[in-house]
Amino acid sequence: MIEVNNLKKNYKSFQAVKNSNFRVEQGEIFGFLGPNGAGKSTTINILSTMLPPTSGTVTINGYDVVKEQNRVRESIGIIFQQNTLDEKLTAKENLMLHCKFYGISRAQRKSRIDEVLEIVDLKESIGTLVEKFSGGMQRRLEIARGLLHYPKVLFLDEPTVGLDPQTRAHVWEYILKLKEKENITMFLTTHYLDEAEISDRIAIMDHGEIIAIDTPKRLKQQLGGDIIEITTSDNEAAMKEIRENFDVVDLSLKDDVIYCKVENSDAFVSEFIKTLQTPLTGLDIRKPTLNDVFLSFTGREIRD
Amino acid sequence: MEGIIAIWQRDIIKFFRDRPRMVGSFSMPILFLVVFGIGMGGSMESLVRAGTNAENFNYTEFIFPGIVSMTLLMTSIFSSLSIIQDRDFGYMREILVSPVSRVNIAIGKMLGSASVAFLQGVMMFVLLPVLGIGIDPLSFLLLLPVMFMIACAFASLGLLVASLLNSMQGFQLVVNILVMPMIFLSGALFPLNNMPGWVSFLVTLNPVTYGVDLMKHIMIDVESLSAGVRQEMGLNLTFFGQPVTMTGEVFFLLGFTTLLILLATLSFRRANS
Repeated sequence: MIEVNNLKKNYKSFQAVKNSNFRVEQGEIFGFLGPNGAGKSTTINILSTMLPPTSGTVTINGYDVVKEQNRVRESIGIIFQQNTLDEKLTAKENLMLHCKFYGISRAQRKSRIDEVLEIVDLKESIGTLVEKFSGGMQRRLEIARGLLHYPKVLFLDEPTVGLDPQTRAHVWEYILKLKEKENITMFLTTHYLDEAEISDRIAIMDHGEIIAIDTPKRLKQQLGGDIIEITTSDNEAAMKEIRENFDVVDLSLKDDVIYCKVENSDAFVSEFIKTLQTPLTGLDIRKPTLNDVFLSFTGREIRD
Repeated sequence: MEGIIAIWQRDIIKFFRDRPRMVGSFSMPILFLVVFGIGMGGSMESLVRAGTNAENFNYTEFIFPGIVSMTLLMTSIFSSLSIIQDRDFGYMREILVSPVSRVNIAIGKMLGSASVAFLQGVMMFVLLPVLGIGIDPLSFLLLLPVMFMIACAFASLGLLVASLLNSMQGFQLVVNILVMPMIFLSGALFPLNNMPGWVSFLVTLNPVTYGVDLMKHIMIDVESLSAGVRQEMGLNLTFFGQPVTMTGEVFFLLGFTTLLILLATLSFRRANS
């Protein structure tokens, strides 16, 4: 559905995107992560025809983003980071304008508007001015609008930024419902790594390059095991003991906590508690999260 | 085509919804009408009467078309500048990622701004009875398309300016160095006679000059005025030595609009990449 080949984008001497290649399959949720300034926005802008690439080719739904801009624009829907609704208009007016921008025939407009409002549960608010909507309702309306022209690919650029946790959960509910119903391909960026878990595959971009691309599960496996956080009355002695008696992948001490990475945490912990001589004061087992994946690939937290 | 209509429609809906703005935008023209019509009117009338023996000369008749042109200019430029706000608040992105072509976006926005300005301009005519000015229905009907055409010229100028500005910060600058001089150097508020060469040059290039002159020629029975009054009131415009005709003025304004729409489209394309 999306094919990116040798994509490069330079701003004067600065290389924002360096030789990127990836494919996104039909019906896939593709998570696109990276720290700020990694080249994510530039990539999305190129994919959505807002920015011409310096070199390389991008096709979406079989159309070239440079040569067949209008075909691409008809094939994609975009939910932007910031609100792009007209707040002085009603929900219906916003959707009507969108129908006209995308050349949806007069006969189909009403049924399409009803259909998308149904998906996001906003049917009752059809005649309300958007400025009277809550943040979550506005987001949902934007999602509805993005679907109005039956896009093949939906770009979701930080779709839940600035929303409270409950509304965030709701928005994702709608997005997942959509994937099930319409089998739309989704290209997603987010700062909330727990949200990226719903992706079928994840690409991590840093310094303009794609440094990892795989399923969330396999990315986490690549980290080589679970992390156990241990606190004891004498950390130095405990670390010595662990080194002597156990086979660990990695062992480090930070802020009075021992971080111990092992391949199988269950086996390790049952043995460890039995044999440890130094008095134990705390123990925490952490399965790797996408945050750990992110940290290990980029050396930074996503919000840095 | 549908895209042009949609962009135009958005401006129209918002115009009728925003009543306070509709009322508020009358304050400036009315102020000017009072200052120039009543304040300056008396002395202008006695000067012209003394110089030309025209007993029934009424200055307000001359200033009214000018004030309407001023309303057209200010409203269409400010409406066009609203796309800067759209850019900041995001709606522009919704339009730009849609399949509507860039030139149609520019035309749609130009027509939207021009329509809003046109409606404001037409509303000014409710003041006619208060001012004691009459207009025959035929002249009024002829005036409508002319006013719309003038508004289109000004709106396209606003569009070009908007495409060059990065933020609303430049707004005041535009008002000071563009809008105000265009009004003062057009003959809208007072006749421009015996100006130094460089000022006449600016007056000649100013599209407002021709808009105001067209409106004056339609609203005022110019033929019945004595040659002296015509000269005094600046009704004998010249374009680099050639006397200006109404047809010429129409072509100037249409050409101006087309050229600026093209420039604005190019400028938007450039800003986009």
